[in-house]
Amino acid sequence: MSAVLSVEAYSLDYRLRQGTARVLDGVNITIGRGEVVGLVGESGSGKSSLAWAIMRHLPRNAVEAGGALRLGGLDLRGLDAAGVQAVRGRRIGMVFQDPSTALNPTLRLGEQVMEVLIRHRGLTRPEARDAAEAALTEVELRDPAALMRRYPHEASGGEKQRVVIATAFATQPELILFDEPTTALDVITGARILELFARLREHTGVAALYISHDLGLVSRVADRVSVLRRGRIVEEGTPAQVFRAPAHDYTRGLVAAVPRPERRLVADAPGSATVLAADALSVRYGRRRLFRPPPPPATEAVTLAVREGEILGVVGESGSGKSSLARGLTGLASFGGAVQAAGRRLDRPGAMDRAYRRAVQIVFQHPDSSLNPRMRIGEILSRPLRLHGGATTEIPALLEQVRLPPDYARKYPHQLSGGEKQRVAIARAFAARPSIVICDEITASLDVSVQAQVIELLLALRRQHGTAYLFITHDLNLIRQIAHRIAVMQRGRLVDLREAAAIDAPDAHPYTRALIAASPTPVG
Amino acid sequence: MTDLLRRLLRTPQGAIGSALLLLLLLLCIAGPALAPRDPEAIDFLGRFRPPGAENWLGADQLGRDVLSRLMTGARATIPLALLATLLGTLAGAVIGTLSAYLGGRWDEAIMRNIDAVMAIPGLLLALLLVSSLGKGSLNATLAIAVAFTPGMARVTRSVALNVRAQDYVKAALARGEGSLFIVLREMLPNVVGPVVVETTIRVAFAVMLFATMSFLGLGAQPPAPEWGLMVAEARRFVHQAPWIILAPALAIAVTAIAFNLLGDGLRDALNPRDER
Repeated sequence: MSAVLSVEAYSLDYRLRQGTARVLDGVNITIGRGEVVGLVGESGSGKSSLAWAIMRHLPRNAVEAGGALRLGGLDLRGLDAAGVQAVRGRRIGMVFQDPSTALNPTLRLGEQVMEVLIRHRGLTRPEARDAAEAALTEVELRDPAALMRRYPHEASGGEKQRVVIATAFATQPELILFDEPTTALDVITGARILELFARLREHTGVAALYISHDLGLVSRVADRVSVLRRGRIVEEGTPAQVFRAPAHDYTRGLVAAVPRPERRLVADAPGSATVLAADALSVRYGRRRLFRPPPPPATEAVTLAVREGEILGVVGESGSGKSSLARGLTGLASFGGAVQAAGRRLDRPGAMDRAYRRAVQIVFQHPDSSLNPRMRIGEILSRPLRLHGGATTEIPALLEQVRLPPDYARKYPHQLSGGEKQRVAIARAFAARPSIVICDEITASLDVSVQAQVIELLLALRRQHGTAYLFITHDLNLIRQIAHRIAVMQRGRLVDLREAAAIDAPDAHPYTRALIAASPTPVG
Repeated sequence: MTDLLRRLLRTPQGAIGSALLLLLLLLCIAGPALAPRDPEAIDFLGRFRPPGAENWLGADQLGRDVLSRLMTGARATIPLALLATLLGTLAGAVIGTLSAYLGGRWDEAIMRNIDAVMAIPGLLLALLLVSSLGKGSLNATLAIAVAFTPGMARVTRSVALNVRAQDYVKAALARGEGSLFIVLREMLPNVVGPVVVETTIRVAFAVMLFATMSFLGLGAQPPAPEWGLMVAEARRFVHQAPWIILAPALAIAVTAIAFNLLGDGLRDALNPRDER
């Protein structure tokens, strides 16, 4: 079988001020005709660098240290600018992680598909228009003709990703690179995109390199899997081989870190007293304006209560109002209804006093933006201590609690990895000795193995302090492992609230069942 | 602080800008002492003398030595322009950040007032203020500071709006920090980059504004060797003796470039993320 793409002993260095850093080290990957190869690795493992090397779009400080990249019989490394132009888009397509940044916001969707067709297939504009419409029909978009006249901001994330996929397939390339194509989409949309990919693949027989950090996902789409760690391929094989009987320690760690709903991590029962409750809580953004209807509420009359030491999971797709609920509870957004805590009823953010602010802490999704880049870690941790009656001498103990060395107090946030930053954010929340911590998608931007460590840390802190968690996530498998009860939100409403063990019971809300069906089932 | 300086000097822009500014600082401190001649000594025989051994940069319409005037005039030009810019920047940055932090109706009210002030051209506003406050260099400084404030407030607000949306500001709000702390400690340090760059560009504008005001007789008064005034006075002789206008114009340009380079260098050095 002739290979569509062969990467042979390929090495890549980045030139930095401190010297050169090896990003890829002797990577071998072969993709046959019609084959899908999954490339799994954590952030920083070099998987995106490989994709860009194949696309011949490397940063200026990149030095290719050896090896070969071949597309069919063509040596990609030997191509000049014109040769690269002829390959890109025409023979190799690419689908990016975030469809909202992959499309030009000032061009209509139709233009963006047609442009590729005119450029690479030499069609005239009317021909391109017909071909684009056909391509969009192919990716199962409703009413493609109308969609072509819309701008990217007028389409949903799923629709945009379908347009990107249609563009990649439109030139009938031999190879398509998928760089985490479902990571930026919510669970249900992502699952539909995967179904579409499977169908298109059968249809066109295209070969693909599928890059992802999500093992469960890759095992479902790929024929073969390569595991990349710090620029080296440590293991390859069929998904079943790799996941059921991982040979390398690193792969074993990765497989173990994948959340499985049947493996419970929390055994104890919560207390009976309520620590925080939302009473018909509604959050609405934007001001009421003259002559215009008020904007729809982000969350509508949500009522739920978190008990002492309880882990209450809140799941739902993006835009379901999960984060708005967190904002209402922390007084970051004005709300209707009321919040109840410590036997008191608060009906506006202004009523939240210091005692409430101390008791209710929040940890945000993006550790990059939740720590002030101009403050040292010590200073970041000293603020809640000063506000809520602690001494700055506690900082080393706080850092130790989240398993960071005490000398981290002198570092700046950018010197830390994503997982370490999230630990600092957790330490900041615990500095106030809260009775409940609201975790807003805190592991969504972390790698699977780091996510497992952070979860483990949260559970350890809970054992130590008896803290309750309101755990907001889109990862149903993860929340089924740790939550006592799970609340399901859809379009700003609470549609389901039940014990975690009964989440897949037949009387669950249809939307809950759809979420479970869309959550990737781990292999093995 | 020494750390910042080291990082500043490591970038080429920072190093060149700092070197030029050091030179200008020297001129401001020791310029009059180093000047080869009396800047106000009139020599009717040497009128319009081209640059040469006697007057290195030539002599002006009254036979005064251009080099000496330049060296003496640095003191009358740079510190005031810098002071005016810094005052305007500080006021604008605080107003802009506060406006972004408060948001909603307050933001609207502050920004519409700023717009109203901006509708009056800066020079006109400065002239208006000077003519009501009275002539003189210090009043001119204040007037220029006030004229710069609305523009700085706008620039700062647009940056601060992004910062306002960051999670660390929300975290500070959620733990019940006071507004003053959030504006001054959480937000202001993070808007500093663009503000510094804008400030350094405005120093050059300030020098020119001073010159204009001096030209109109509201700032420095002849025969003071203020650079802007020198340009204004030499305007009539540009065909006859171009060096009289070129020398101070170049001095202003070098000052502007020095501040711009320093601004670029500072922007990189102030960013702790940048470890190159």
